[in-house]
Amino acid sequence: MAVQASQAASTPQHVPSARTLVKASVVALAVAGLLLVTIVFPAEYGIDPLGTGEALGLSALSGVGAVAESIPPPQGTKLAPVPEGPYALYPAEYKYDAREFTLGPYEYVEFKYHLEQGATMLFSWAADGDVMHDFHGDPDGAPSSAAQSYDTRVRRRADGTFSAPFSGIHGWYWENPGGETITVRMTTAGFYASAHEFRFDGTRYPRTVRALDTIPVTDEEKETP
Amino acid sequence: MMRRTTTLALAMMLVIGATQLSAHDNFRIIGTLMKHESSKIDVKKREGNTVTIMLDKQTQITRDKKKVAASELRAGQSLVVDAYGDTEDDSLAIEIRIVPPIQAGRN
Repeated sequence: MAVQASQAASTPQHVPSARTLVKASVVALAVAGLLLVTIVFPAEYGIDPLGTGEALGLSALSGVGAVAESIPPPQGTKLAPVPEGPYALYPAEYKYDAREFTLGPYEYVEFKYHLEQGATMLFSWAADGDVMHDFHGDPDGAPSSAAQSYDTRVRRRADGTFSAPFSGIHGWYWENPGGETITVRMTTAGFYASAHEFRFDGTRYPRTVRALDTIPVTDEEKETP
Repeated sequence: MMRRTTTLALAMMLVIGATQLSAHDNFRIIGTLMKHESSKIDVKKREGNTVTIMLDKQTQITRDKKKVAASELRAGQSLVVDAYGDTEDDSLAIEIRIVPPIQAGRN
């Protein structure tokens, strides 16, 4: 053991030359710079000079120019209308959604439905106080900057119909502008395939939209011969 | 041997680095200002937990829709903070609104 230690001590150590050290440092700096520009900048700050962020899907992580709400279009048959003169046919039945919720002071929530271009939806909502409201849509696969507002104003209620100007998620942003809790009740029916809820605390939930056979038919409504 | 070690180290750096990247989100934090330092604030949410939010030169501070200086922030004020980051506790304040006192808990 003592002999080995003595041999190790006497073996000359290979010390890299200053030239090698400089070369290694330059290479390390170049690699670090490349990673910074191609991965870190696009992912963290949305700065993408070489287009690598877009190609690798890293730009969405930055939130700058991110794909709207990061909600992929639903799979399966597209609920797109086929115009037949004054009416249109769809490949499946329409869906229904109803909800009552409260907005605490300064809270906001968004409800969005995925509709194909030209698909229609009926809606009614009412609040027991003034809410800041933005009825808007985000095209599929587009950056959040491509969102379009259809109606932005303080309202207490709205009842209407909607025909989607493009395929994407469409719906409402409601914000409580004051210190009192507000209750909002909304109902929609339309040819949407999915729904999502986005809350002020950053959470988001997929919502189950109801098929027509979940709406009960009362005894009075049942026709008896 | 040296080349293999270097390659391995580089691969590990990439894996570790990649796990640090995560999607950014918008958060609204509503609560009471507990502490204000030059580059961060502690806000106690109505749910009871306290979150620390970073500030920078772009952070706008408003009261009644008018810009005010950061020195206007005082412990005990009710705040509505719109922030951006990975989590509420790892976020940067975009706008801080000083609002009239909000009752604790939901009304």
